[in-house]
Amino acid sequence: MNKQVNLSAKDQLKTFMRLARYVLPFKRSAFIAMVLLMITVAATVVGPLIIQMFIDDHVVPREFPARQVWIIAIAYVGLQLVNVIALYFETLRFQELALSIIQQLRIDVFTKVQKLGLRYFDQTPAGGIVSRVTNDTESIKEMFDNVAVTFLQAIFGLIGVYIALFSLDARLAVYTLVLLPLFLVIVSVYRYYSADFYQDIRERLSQLNAKISESLSGMGMIQAFRQEKRLSDEFIKVNEGHYRAGMRNIKFDSLLLGPFIDLLYTATVIAALSYFGVTSLTTAVDVGIIYAFTALLTRLFQPVQQVMQRMSMFQQAIVSASRVFALIDDPRMEPVQTAQVDKKITEGKIEFRNVTFSYDGKNDVLKDISFTANAGETVALVGHTGSGKSSIINLFMRFYEYEQGEILIDGVSLKDYSMEELRMKVGLVLQDPFMFYGDITSNIRLHNSALTDQDVREAAEFVQADRFIEEFPEGYQHKVSERGSTFSSGQRQLIAFARTMAMQPKILVLDEATANIDTETEVAIQASLAKMREGRTTIAIAHRLSTVQDAELILVLHHGEIVEKGTHHELLARKGLYYTMYELQNGEQENI
Amino acid sequence: MKVLVDLGWFFKERKKQYIIGVTALMLVAMLQLAPPKIIGMIVDAVAEGTLTADMLKQWMIILAAAGILMYLGRYLWRVMIFGSAVYLARTMRERLFQHFTRMSPSFYQRRRVGDLMAHATNDISAVQQTAGMGILTLADSVSTGGFVILTMALTISWKLTLIALIPIPLMVILTSYYGRLLRRRFMVAQEAFSDLNDKTQESISGIKVLKTFGQQKEDIEAFTERSETVVQKNMRVAKIDALFDPTIALIFTVSYILAFVFGTRFIIAGELKIGELIAFISYLGLLTWPMFAIGFLFNIVERGNASYSRIQDLLSVEQEIQDRPGAIGELPQGDIVFNIGSFTFPDDTESSLRDIHFTLKKGETLGIVGRTGSGKTAILKLLMREFEGYTGTITYGGIPITRYKKENLRQAIGYVPQDHFLFSTTLGENIAFTNPAIDQEEIVAAAKAAHIHEDILTFADGYETMVGERGVSLSGGQRQRVSIARALLMNPELLLLDDSLSAVDARTEEAILHSLKEQRTGKTTVITSHRLSAIQHAHQIIVMEEGKVVEIGDHQSLLQKQGIYKEMYDLQQLESIVEQGGETYE
Repeated sequence: MNKQVNLSAKDQLKTFMRLARYVLPFKRSAFIAMVLLMITVAATVVGPLIIQMFIDDHVVPREFPARQVWIIAIAYVGLQLVNVIALYFETLRFQELALSIIQQLRIDVFTKVQKLGLRYFDQTPAGGIVSRVTNDTESIKEMFDNVAVTFLQAIFGLIGVYIALFSLDARLAVYTLVLLPLFLVIVSVYRYYSADFYQDIRERLSQLNAKISESLSGMGMIQAFRQEKRLSDEFIKVNEGHYRAGMRNIKFDSLLLGPFIDLLYTATVIAALSYFGVTSLTTAVDVGIIYAFTALLTRLFQPVQQVMQRMSMFQQAIVSASRVFALIDDPRMEPVQTAQVDKKITEGKIEFRNVTFSYDGKNDVLKDISFTANAGETVALVGHTGSGKSSIINLFMRFYEYEQGEILIDGVSLKDYSMEELRMKVGLVLQDPFMFYGDITSNIRLHNSALTDQDVREAAEFVQADRFIEEFPEGYQHKVSERGSTFSSGQRQLIAFARTMAMQPKILVLDEATANIDTETEVAIQASLAKMREGRTTIAIAHRLSTVQDAELILVLHHGEIVEKGTHHELLARKGLYYTMYELQNGEQENI
Repeated sequence: MKVLVDLGWFFKERKKQYIIGVTALMLVAMLQLAPPKIIGMIVDAVAEGTLTADMLKQWMIILAAAGILMYLGRYLWRVMIFGSAVYLARTMRERLFQHFTRMSPSFYQRRRVGDLMAHATNDISAVQQTAGMGILTLADSVSTGGFVILTMALTISWKLTLIALIPIPLMVILTSYYGRLLRRRFMVAQEAFSDLNDKTQESISGIKVLKTFGQQKEDIEAFTERSETVVQKNMRVAKIDALFDPTIALIFTVSYILAFVFGTRFIIAGELKIGELIAFISYLGLLTWPMFAIGFLFNIVERGNASYSRIQDLLSVEQEIQDRPGAIGELPQGDIVFNIGSFTFPDDTESSLRDIHFTLKKGETLGIVGRTGSGKTAILKLLMREFEGYTGTITYGGIPITRYKKENLRQAIGYVPQDHFLFSTTLGENIAFTNPAIDQEEIVAAAKAAHIHEDILTFADGYETMVGERGVSLSGGQRQRVSIARALLMNPELLLLDDSLSAVDARTEEAILHSLKEQRTGKTTVITSHRLSAIQHAHQIIVMEEGKVVEIGDHQSLLQKQGIYKEMYDLQQLESIVEQGGETYE
């Protein structure tokens, strides 16, 4: 499901920079957060210095002049209070920043998704797209709160600690500079190896979850075909692989992560103490400096420790970001209109002129299609699965762009109308009527606020959906659950009709439902359809020939070509493909 | 803490690892005390001018030894404790999975896959956290905290220790209070997020509708609104989350000040050395983590508790349909006789089947027609023993199907379900589902019989084409035919087609029915359908209505009966008959 991409260091940097650009609109907020962060870092560095001063100036000589002691005490308490308050608002700011950035990113991706052509959706599983919009952006969020804060803290922290070290004992501080390249080496070695390990374990986890999820969905089949044992064995294998990867990760982390840094810390303490000890043998050393120095050393190691722990988060965020950006950059956009805004569809005459079309650029699914539907007429498309019926609709609805031939409405190219005009005047009824979560009214009206409740009701009455709707106690406010699963497919179909009719389109495009509607509902649906077609130019895909017999023009498609055209009677008289299909569907009558 | 008792079996199983781990952890906790102590001693020696080179060397060697031991100890406990936790996750996951494979359809009817997935992922990871981080935090905070406090009290000053610890209980109270608030707000934030997820899912599934109605802009607005809610709810979480660190910092500041004020007094009074005070302050720093950990521990364990009991609840669901003692281990063969008084699906109040009596002779085809919900599928489900608990008997070859081993009964049955489920693997492997080792020729033969072979060849990778999320998306009709091929491949004694031809066109339906007829001579077949064309050639047809058999016979006799079958037939032909009116057929 989440295919892991291997990104080169250069790609990673590019992705990172692009991500960083998302901070720009929030400059002010980012700046404040940064200032707060510096305050907290400064406070943690200065704290030990005050204590060191107190020890050196007062505890060691055992002199406690009230005034000075009070000043030190107040300075320390004041500093800590500033620290605590800054810390709180800093955390909050960074969260806010991260959330705002992610929201922007989400809206950007979602907007992009809405503008993608159907080609993209036909080629990409829905689950993956949803994941890009929500989960991937969520893991990028970690980058802006968790990772960014830690990294910045580490950088400022290191700078602050070094300033303090230098002010305490320049020579010793120079020695400790050796630690910096060492840290860098550890971090990059860890990053290098952990990237692989981490990616491996992520991939295994997603395999594992995919396996569970698929087995659960397909459990009926697994059991019916007695494959429980085989699937269990397969699962155990995947599970075992994931376990091993997990163990390897733990061992690797333990070797190089926390314990190692701690070891390094102890070594540094030994070095510092030896230095102070040896020096003290010959010259006098301030004990306060020893305290401050060792305390600062601890602070030097903390950021490194934390940066390493955030490394995998960072990697994941970059991988997620690269996936999100790949979607944002996807070129499979919906067809563009040449937008001559004032063109209006008045009559509804449809004309296809020599349209040839291919999805993949290799195999033509439509070959030289030409036909005309005069205003108010019905053109029916019949043919077997894969004959090209749906492709004609895909082009007419501008779901896909066509290159060869021309499609005209009222003599004007389809491309020259604004998208709004097309969407207003052309109503499509889909084979599988999609229901949105909400209620019946919201499903008929959709987002179109121009429609009043009265309009909605009239549309429902028009398609005779009002009968079953009014049987619900809440009527039009009856809840529609996810995908409208509580409605029968016939009811869903009727609601979809109402949705289309509420727009009062000039042109109707019908993709007739095939399966699973019981005969009674079918009759109601056919009656509604006939009514809807009145006075509208209609292009209809028909699976049952009986439903289109009154069409002014029937096109019989075969392998993307129009092989027969004419009225029902003309076509029957030809005794061609249409006749055979008709025979097949109605052959039983002779048995009676 | 109940979960720690419940997980007793596991701790026992991994006794060795946990003992080693906890011992290493305590060793580290003890050794951790060395550096501050040594720093303090060196400082004192420097201050008093008593430090000698030998003494320095000796202490540094001790410090180095402690450092190395700590490294080993830390490595060891991580591998032992975290490793065990991963092992626990693996074990639980495996148990759960195997349990899932034993659960009958009624189990899956009551639960949603999403919820079961949540148990297998989130709940297991919460239990893993308990066995890993939970045990670590418990052992570590108790041992580190204990040792540090003891050392402070025994080697430095018990009076100073008590004074410095005064504010600590307040911290524990506050952090666990924040924890509770946080969980509540976090749940709300999660809901907002899953709402956003649902919204996105819906927009993408309904993209055609949105495009058709030109409502992309409005939908983006609706999305923006929801993502705004996500931000707001998460900010509420952040407001609490951001409290932890400042609170701990503040309370430790109070402790530090107390330690200094009183420490200095003790020094003046001669009860304390400077080095001891410095060591004391370092020790106080070591307490930060264990104190923080206690609040953290409560959270982990509480979540682990809830998760573990949810998993246990699932695991305790008993397998509904089991083999009877002394079940027959033979493949069933012969006639099938249905004699059902009544059957009610679990959780239903009304019975789904009543008085179903028919005999299906070996080698014959039975057609079942009726509306959605008339009980067609229920008959198939009972035949497969997916459900039991009916009155009456179903015999196969004269023996009640309940007396066969489930394994053997299902071996005889090839089932093509209504919702044609395919696995995300290659088309070939989907067809060869019952026997992955089978020859390619047989796969092709099954595909040809199901009239999907030609379709498969149009894909670039042919039989190696991946299906599902990462592969091609098949049309409904193609999926149905793959699933028919899958059942045909096993050449079953009894083939059940549950409205499996609904999405294929008339011509293909005809062709499939034809090849079924050819291939399945001598074998028994049951076909349910809405469309009469799919079953009219059956030897015997039963018409179902509201769980009852209303008519039975073959196509001709049913038509002659002028009953419901005839009505359905007429309805399906209605328009064409009306239209025809003698005009079209000269």
